[in-house]
Amino acid sequence: MRPCSREMQGMNSLLNPSSQIPLQDLQNQQIHNSHFDPNLSSNEDFLEQMLSSCSWADPKSPWDLNPPTNLPFPTNNSSSSAKHRDLFNETPSSNSDSNNVGFRNNFDESVILASKLRQHQISCGNGAAVSDAAKMMLPQQLLMAVARGGLSLNDDIDGSLSQGGDGSIQGLFNGFGAGSMNGTDGASNQSMQHFNHPQARLAAVLQGGAMQSPNLGAQGAPATTAVMNQPQASGSNGGAPTQPRQRVRARRGQATDPHSIAERLRRERIAERMKALQELVPNANKTDKASMLDEIIDYVKFLQLQVKVLSMSRLGGAAAVAPLVADMSSEAGGDCIQANDNGGSLARTTNGNQTASTNDNSLTVTEHQVAKMMEEDMGTAMQYLQGKGLCLMPISLATAISTATCHNRTSGIINSHAHLHQSNGEGPTSPSMSVLTVQSMTMGNGGGDGVAKDAASVSKP
Amino acid sequence: MTTKHGIGTTHTRSIKNRFARRFLRSLLKMKRSNRLGTGFQSDEEIRKRNTQRIKTAADRSMARVVGPRKIWSRALLFKLRNRARIQVGLRKRCLVSKKKKVLRKEKKVQVISREPNRADNLRKLVPGGDSMDICCLLEETAHYIKCLATQVKVMQSIADLYST
Repeated sequence: MRPCSREMQGMNSLLNPSSQIPLQDLQNQQIHNSHFDPNLSSNEDFLEQMLSSCSWADPKSPWDLNPPTNLPFPTNNSSSSAKHRDLFNETPSSNSDSNNVGFRNNFDESVILASKLRQHQISCGNGAAVSDAAKMMLPQQLLMAVARGGLSLNDDIDGSLSQGGDGSIQGLFNGFGAGSMNGTDGASNQSMQHFNHPQARLAAVLQGGAMQSPNLGAQGAPATTAVMNQPQASGSNGGAPTQPRQRVRARRGQATDPHSIAERLRRERIAERMKALQELVPNANKTDKASMLDEIIDYVKFLQLQVKVLSMSRLGGAAAVAPLVADMSSEAGGDCIQANDNGGSLARTTNGNQTASTNDNSLTVTEHQVAKMMEEDMGTAMQYLQGKGLCLMPISLATAISTATCHNRTSGIINSHAHLHQSNGEGPTSPSMSVLTVQSMTMGNGGGDGVAKDAASVSKP
Repeated sequence: MTTKHGIGTTHTRSIKNRFARRFLRSLLKMKRSNRLGTGFQSDEEIRKRNTQRIKTAADRSMARVVGPRKIWSRALLFKLRNRARIQVGLRKRCLVSKKKKVLRKEKKVQVISREPNRADNLRKLVPGGDSMDICCLLEETAHYIKCLATQVKVMQSIADLYST
């Protein structure tokens, strides 16, 4: 019943060079599961407790023991226990029993978890799951290697790893090596380096095992990388405070591992895209996703409506398209607004007016009426225009005003033609008028208001 | 973020230039065809038809500039082509139009049915939005908004050129 002294010595030799805290942390975890005395001071007492709680039913084949019946801590699935048993049966019995039994408690749990991970790995084939599982696999392998190698520091681990019959662990190891993704490469390199240093090896293993065993279910990559970085840091003082946190994560994560990872990835992608959309859409200070969606929908509707309206306002006037094409190819394209000579613009507008190329019904009606009236009598034509709040002005003046007031343009989306043509005959107030109309246009309908402004584009010969 | 913004603006500028060129060329073509044979319709109808033509020219040139890389541009081109074919078929009173109608129906059948989502309206607005999941839908919407905004800017500046 009592462990042999050789094992005790092995434990002590193991514990003394490395820091003793991780083992105490191990103890603490085990405490939660298996009613140990938490206030142990000496490792030997702990060993006695640990070893006394487990039953040595068959020393010849310790691996055949049923883990759910013997071990105090819970095992989740029956399938995992079956796999656990398979794992046990696979391993060759070349290892001494006493060496292995001593660490069986943590080992069993770790093996159970490892088998579960393997199960996940096999069944899911999910990239994320593989990477996380792979990340978590290594310390498990290390633990198993330790237990197998019988706690000796230097070469036994190497030997145990390179054993030909050690099929399962080798398989896991190779699988891990093959399946490691970018994120894990750094971790694997770190751990590989640790592996190659015999002195630091077991310390790394212990610390990794200590930190890792409760943390298996957690998908938190930061958690795992934090764990992997801990072997690098020789001090394991951060182990104790981070462990309760890791344990909470593990509990939640153990529920549905690959699904929650996939869910989280999906949610992150969606959040990314919503952020990108927020930058595009104006008035995007909404934090709620639903209201953000509504804003986006409104903005798309608005843009489509603008395209429709603009397509109405561009009829005729195509006599100038040919020089325009030449212009466009030479310039940057799009923003060449003021680069017209008045003669050319005059010709264009006369063309436009004669072909009745205006957009809306009200516009054309006004234009027709004004044209008719101008044929009859200029006075009535002017009165008619003034009644509408419009006036005639020479195009040169209009363009001058437009170049002067182009700096006052508030919105890039709807440019105001109004300041060109619409005024009450009062020069100084026209910029303010134009600003007002711009504002009203940007507020409400881009269609009707923006269209009325073109009504007064009558040219003087 | 700044580099991303920089890449976005240069990308938008090239789209703007290409769209402007293509759109103007199509406008020129339209003007020529207008001059040839529009004597038999009233002014109103001419105007309406021209409006429609300009809008489809703008949409088509935008979709061509974007290319088949985006789902919405492909869907838009497909829709425009179908519409053009159907119109041509109606005019010529050809049996070909029936085939195209069948094609259209087949495309509708391929729509994936999901439970009513908040993003349904967005799906209706963005061309080709029916067959996208939320993730792709948001991405496509971002690109679509960018292209629509450049389209509006170019058309606006062309309109400015015309009216001054």
